[in-house]
Amino acid sequence: MIEINNLVKRYGDKKAVKGISFTVNDDEVLGFLGPNGAGKTTTMNIITGYLSSTSGTVKVNGHDILEEPELAKKEIGYLPENPPLYTDMTVNEYLSFICDLKGVPKDKRKEQLENIKSMVKIDDVQDRLIGNLSKGYKQRVGIAQALVGNPSILILDEPTVGLDPNQIIEIRRLIKSLSKTHSIIISSHILSEIQEVADRVVIINRGKIAAVDTLSDLSKRLSGQSKLLLTFRGSAKDSAAKIRTIKGVSAAVPRVVDSKLSQLEITISTSDTTEVRTQIFYLMANEGWPILEMRSLDPTLEEVFLSITAGKGRA
Amino acid sequence: MLAIFKREFLSYFRSPVGYVAIALFSFLSGFIFYSQFATGAVNIATEVISLRSFFVIIVPIITMGLLSEDKKRGTDVLYYTTPVSLFNVVVGKVLAAFALYAIMFINVVIHIIVTLACGGDFEVGCIGTIIVFFFMAFMFITIGLFASAITDSQIISAIVAFVIILVTQLISTIGSYAGAAVTSVLSAIKVESATAAGNGIASAIAWFDPFVKTQDFRLGIFSVSALIYLVSIGVLFLYLTFRVLEKKRWSQA
Amino acid sequence: MNKIVSNVKNPQNDDRSDKLKLYSIGSVVILIAIVLLVNVLFDKILGKALTFDFSDALSNTISQESIDYINGLPADTKIRIVGLFDKPADVAQTEYQYICPLLDDYVKNSKGKITVDYINPNTQPTIISQLDPDNSFNLSSQTGNFVIKYNDKIKIISPYDCYSYDETYLSQGYYYVTGNNAEYSFTNSMYILTNGYSCKAYLITGLEEDDSNYIAKILESMAIEPIGLPVSENFTVPEDCDLIIMNGPQNDISEKMYVELSSFIKRGGKLFVAVDFNVVNVTEKYERLNRLLNEMNLVIDPYLIAENDSGYQLGGYQLDHLVKACEGFTDYAEITLLHSTNARSVRSADIPGNTFKTAPVLRTSENASTTALDQYGNVIESSMVSGKQFYAAMYSAGEGDDPAKAFVFGTMNFTSDQYISSYGINDTNVDFFKSCLRELTSSKQFNTLNVPTKNVENFSLDATKSTTSASTVVLVVFMILIPVLLVALAVIVYNKRKNL
Repeated sequence: MIEINNLVKRYGDKKAVKGISFTVNDDEVLGFLGPNGAGKTTTMNIITGYLSSTSGTVKVNGHDILEEPELAKKEIGYLPENPPLYTDMTVNEYLSFICDLKGVPKDKRKEQLENIKSMVKIDDVQDRLIGNLSKGYKQRVGIAQALVGNPSILILDEPTVGLDPNQIIEIRRLIKSLSKTHSIIISSHILSEIQEVADRVVIINRGKIAAVDTLSDLSKRLSGQSKLLLTFRGSAKDSAAKIRTIKGVSAAVPRVVDSKLSQLEITISTSDTTEVRTQIFYLMANEGWPILEMRSLDPTLEEVFLSITAGKGRA
Repeated sequence: MLAIFKREFLSYFRSPVGYVAIALFSFLSGFIFYSQFATGAVNIATEVISLRSFFVIIVPIITMGLLSEDKKRGTDVLYYTTPVSLFNVVVGKVLAAFALYAIMFINVVIHIIVTLACGGDFEVGCIGTIIVFFFMAFMFITIGLFASAITDSQIISAIVAFVIILVTQLISTIGSYAGAAVTSVLSAIKVESATAAGNGIASAIAWFDPFVKTQDFRLGIFSVSALIYLVSIGVLFLYLTFRVLEKKRWSQA
Repeated sequence: MNKIVSNVKNPQNDDRSDKLKLYSIGSVVILIAIVLLVNVLFDKILGKALTFDFSDALSNTISQESIDYINGLPADTKIRIVGLFDKPADVAQTEYQYICPLLDDYVKNSKGKITVDYINPNTQPTIISQLDPDNSFNLSSQTGNFVIKYNDKIKIISPYDCYSYDETYLSQGYYYVTGNNAEYSFTNSMYILTNGYSCKAYLITGLEEDDSNYIAKILESMAIEPIGLPVSENFTVPEDCDLIIMNGPQNDISEKMYVELSSFIKRGGKLFVAVDFNVVNVTEKYERLNRLLNEMNLVIDPYLIAENDSGYQLGGYQLDHLVKACEGFTDYAEITLLHSTNARSVRSADIPGNTFKTAPVLRTSENASTTALDQYGNVIESSMVSGKQFYAAMYSAGEGDDPAKAFVFGTMNFTSDQYISSYGINDTNVDFFKSCLRELTSSKQFNTLNVPTKNVENFSLDATKSTTSASTVVLVVFMILIPVLLVALAVIVYNKRKNL
């Protein structure tokens, strides 16, 4: 369990983190969401003891990171955005060094390392030089490093950045399996990633918390924000007006893609995509406008923030 | 501390750096030994003292990457976020470089054995110079480590260490130039005790010269205060290095 | 208004960073202060006490003899030692290597009685008039040497006075240092400055003898002032002469000298004569000298002693052998077997002419003979008498309160520069010689100091092992083989790991 209370970090005159407070419960995956430069990494660096906060406290399982750093750090496994890997060591050499560093007792070391290696699936590269591994394997070695010493809390900073889609899926699956036995803070600037793995989400922007939500609350909040992208052939003038008449559509913005073929693209904001899509299909069929493509758009982070602040205003 | 020591020490032998440094030391010490051997008289003290002048090359080679590479690779995070104290990290790194120096010194041990086998003498002055050699190695390694802590470029770190060690080796010369300069300036403005002031400054600067402080060891005169000087300078740089690392935590820049 | 508020830093927010910064910088400053303080403390206050001389020969520490002498000086004694040069930053491998650290030890043990400084007269010319106001020593030509000043008396010690050299090596182009006499020279010089000479010895020069540098040094060490007395037509023995020394004359003395020396003996003079048998003086029979010695019932034979007892021979040579101290002289040196080379036989006069009593000093075995060689080393007369005991040195003394006394040595092994330089001032032969001098000048006060000389380190290798081929092996193994192997290892490790 991590209690974070009113964290502030100043760099010169600029504040990177402006009074962040939240709590991470045991065996919970907390998504830490925010655009680049929002202060995610700084906050995580403070939680792990890499940086000291200008003010505010971090308590890890009851140990203050500044007052009892060694006890607090024992509880945390940290994977920074840039994994701390010695490229001139093999995976085994590296992991046994991490064991030395974290003071893993000699008798438990072998078993623990075997477990970790099979869990993150790096058995087949254990004697290879880290510098020669692919990005995905490097990331897994980074996670393995964080797991050494059996910390109860894992802090993963952008664990999927720079990976190809297959690797991303693998890593997410790994995080999910780890979440059964660990509290995890995972940061990302991609909403869908957080939605997939997190139980709860902390959204920060410009050093401040924009929202703390459970995943279901977040879905609700975002439900009014679904968008559809529709590409079809037909009249620009009529189509937007006709679509707006469909129940549940709050806005429709047309854009001409190809005037010769009178091909149109129309972005539709709606609260209920499933029903609206049926309605649109019948409408298009009636009008004789062939649908070329229809897909739902994920809201961008900016839009989420907009909606969150707007929602707050309304409430 | 042991973890850091083990990693850094082994990493010298996982990359060519350690072998090349030892090869360089072997070549230099071999040359000095051979040139004495060829004249039919070998004084190990002379060899060890000559080897001290190569600190300026060898120490930067073995210390330049100790901390700067960590910063470049991002592995320094490990030191801050695992339950190991930063001071132990610094000490472990110094010990690793020191141990490499000790390995290099095996060359001289072999030379001693050859000398004794050939009926030569190995007397107390030689032991004195060897003691001084290791104390100096410790001091210069801490200086090199400090240079490695203040930058994330190996090259810059090596250059800084090179310059500091070079200045240390030239302290007495620098002192006498500074003294002469002060004398000439003061006598130009007709200050009466110009020479005395110049000499005072020269000897004040020369007081810091670790080579002058320890020179009598080769005559068999062991001075505890000279060793304390070397150790205290070493500890000072050790602590400075520790503070430079710690600075990252609170620095607002 | 708003602007002012926003510029005021929130004190709580910055507290922690400022505290850490202050702590960090403060602790560094405090540590620097402690380092400086500890070093000044150790350097200035405890430095001397925590400096130990572990050198094999204690080359850098003064002996108990010197310490006793210094302690015996009155508390207000001021002895100033000035090195007329800039002290080298590093004295190792300079001629001052064994001198400067030793002088530091004098200062350390002197309780302020002795001061040492180094002043180069070229940069500070006033030092010359300070030390020697009359300029009687021409100190400006003594750059590089040491001056010892006590009251208004001074003595000069050159670094070369502080070592013994093996002069047999001179042929190789350099002197080979065999002993360290630094303490010997300094303590004895100080003794003479503070206590004065007790008597004067005149060394006769001009009879083609070798230099007498070492016996001069030995005489000084005994507070006997050595003065040269050159041979001339109007040779006279000075009134203040206590002792005449003839150290290895290759020629006989003149008639005038015989007369003078004879009258010197008659008035109770003391005489020390040492000759030997060498290629230069094979034909010299020292007729006038023998006439003089005859007055003391002694004779030097023109024959060479050949030792036949292998127990006495050294290295199997007949002419290089041991001699035994005779009764009455056995306590002259620590051991009674001494080293004699190319000795002329010395004996009592066949017809004792007066009241002088003679005594043998050094004898051969019972199985010795005499022989005569020509200047090419060929035996011209051999085994004239064999299976007999001969004497390499004899003593003679007159009667009365302070009678005339003489030692006559048939060997130069007790007094020549060549021998002493090779075997050192602490050799038993030298001890024996010093005892002879004590006997001759027993009526006078003595310097009882017996400062030991020290060995110098010798780093030479065994010549049979440090051959040219051995040094080639050293070259190949240490300069080529080991470094190349290491570089090869570096390449192997690099390639192996690169592809892991």
